[in-house]
Amino acid sequence: MKKSKVREKSLVMPTRMYWFAVPALILFVVFWVYPVFQMFYYSITNFNGVNYDYDFVGVRNFQSIVKDGSLVNGIKNTFIYTIIIVVISNVVGLALALLLNLKLKGKSIFRTLVYLPALFSPIVVGFIWSYVYMPGSGMLSSIIELFGMDGTKLNLLGDFGKALYAITAVDIWKNVGTTMIIYLAGLQTIDDSLLEAGKIDGCNEWKLITKVKLPLISATITINVVLNVIAGLKAFDYSFIMTNGGPGKSTQTLMYIIFNTAFNKQLMGKASALSVVSFIIIIAITILMLRFMNKREVEF
Amino acid sequence: MKKQLSRTAIYLILCVYSFVTFLPLLIVVSSSFRNPHNLTSPLRLFSEFTLKSYITAFTKMNFLGELLNSILTTAGSVVIVVLIATMAAYPISRIKKKTSRFLYYFFIAGLVIPSQMVIVPIAQVFGALNIPNTRFTPMIMFITCSLPFSTFLYVGFLKGVPVSLEEAAFMEGASLWRRYRTVVFPLIKPATVSTVITQGLWIWNDYFFPMVFISKREQYSLPVGMLQFLGDKENPAQWNVLFASCVLCALPLVLVFIVLQKQFINGIAAGAVKG
Repeated sequence: MKKSKVREKSLVMPTRMYWFAVPALILFVVFWVYPVFQMFYYSITNFNGVNYDYDFVGVRNFQSIVKDGSLVNGIKNTFIYTIIIVVISNVVGLALALLLNLKLKGKSIFRTLVYLPALFSPIVVGFIWSYVYMPGSGMLSSIIELFGMDGTKLNLLGDFGKALYAITAVDIWKNVGTTMIIYLAGLQTIDDSLLEAGKIDGCNEWKLITKVKLPLISATITINVVLNVIAGLKAFDYSFIMTNGGPGKSTQTLMYIIFNTAFNKQLMGKASALSVVSFIIIIAITILMLRFMNKREVEF
Repeated sequence: MKKQLSRTAIYLILCVYSFVTFLPLLIVVSSSFRNPHNLTSPLRLFSEFTLKSYITAFTKMNFLGELLNSILTTAGSVVIVVLIATMAAYPISRIKKKTSRFLYYFFIAGLVIPSQMVIVPIAQVFGALNIPNTRFTPMIMFITCSLPFSTFLYVGFLKGVPVSLEEAAFMEGASLWRRYRTVVFPLIKPATVSTVITQGLWIWNDYFFPMVFISKREQYSLPVGMLQFLGDKENPAQWNVLFASCVLCALPLVLVFIVLQKQFINGIAAGAVKG
């Protein structure tokens, strides 16, 4: 009986089905996997991205990215960016979702307003916020002047200590709506009877959230944290569009440095060395995160 | 009484938050309806109404041409992604072998690699294969980069679809291709909606690949066309035109969103929850 079932299965789902995956595999290998291997290879050369007449330089690229501080600076900025995005997007997104999950009139209007920026291209968002932060006639400066203070001094994007936080806020503004939508979907899967049971057991609204709702949407929390971590580690757009990595090197994220080193400085070897290190960091964080999150979910 | 109070508080929080989120957009829209030379405080909302900035922006960015390029590349990419991602997901989800597991993780690994890291080697592959720079060239990368997520989503979805219908089709002698086309493909429509929306959204808005692979102005899509305004950022006299072009660039997708709001919200949520 068992044997015949196995045979039948292999008849319905024969191995030649794998041919279906071939178009996707070809594209993926040629335009994604092979370039990744090339990147590893270039990291030990002094290739400039154009001229194929290059030499092997061993670990010199790696030494150079450590020595000139670009690696440490990039990691630091990327990590700050990521941590802020993960914490604020999730806290604000979850809070908004909890509120919008209540029976409120006009909640779809609020939902639309919060989600709207997620529809825009990063380039449009970059322009809008360049205006918001512009010293003198920008939105924040104008508002400050409305209250009778001197707004011309406010120059967030020109300030070494604040520029990174300013562009992080832009990213949150754009993406918090998506995080909220995902939380809302998670909250809507909660069975009403569980909430009723909690109420009968004497839970107040806060306890209902922390003891019933949050544990039940732990999978959703995982997804949102993972998505935001990946987005943070890939941070590039607003450094590129709004600040050009400046002032100084204060908003240079890893991806910005890699792009800048490869395209503007034409140091492909060095850019590849940075890419290799970033690659290892990103993969390590992803694996750690999934492991940790999976364990937590089981515990709940 | 207490309930009434907390309800008011909730509305207050939501109103303040939405207002803060929405204020920059309000100013952008209001200023875009001003004369390009009107440099009075943009906080005086809708103090003037003229389409002069729009007319300048419209011609300067070659709006209709760019819109057409955006529509063609996004639609083309999404259709191909749906086709080849479902095909790839089909054997991966149905054959229970190590090969399937390997392929699954192989595709997922692509999800976390940022494109800036590999863009130079990718450009070299394009060079080696003699792929010319046309308006459709970025589509290759749009499709490739959409594959990991879409395949992931489809595999997850297909695992929840019972095989009995396929077995019935097999009994009736349907070929593999016919089974995929007439039985499997229609069954995974919700995942397709989700793929079309999540992938269509980033492809439509992406400026990075077109920036690298397109050199002629008439081949620009909407987002990459906006890049040429980067220099104008420093020039306050250009802001009203810039705002008008921002609105023009964002408008098509906002209109689509208004019409298909439900599908958008569900598609994004389903994409994340399944994924």
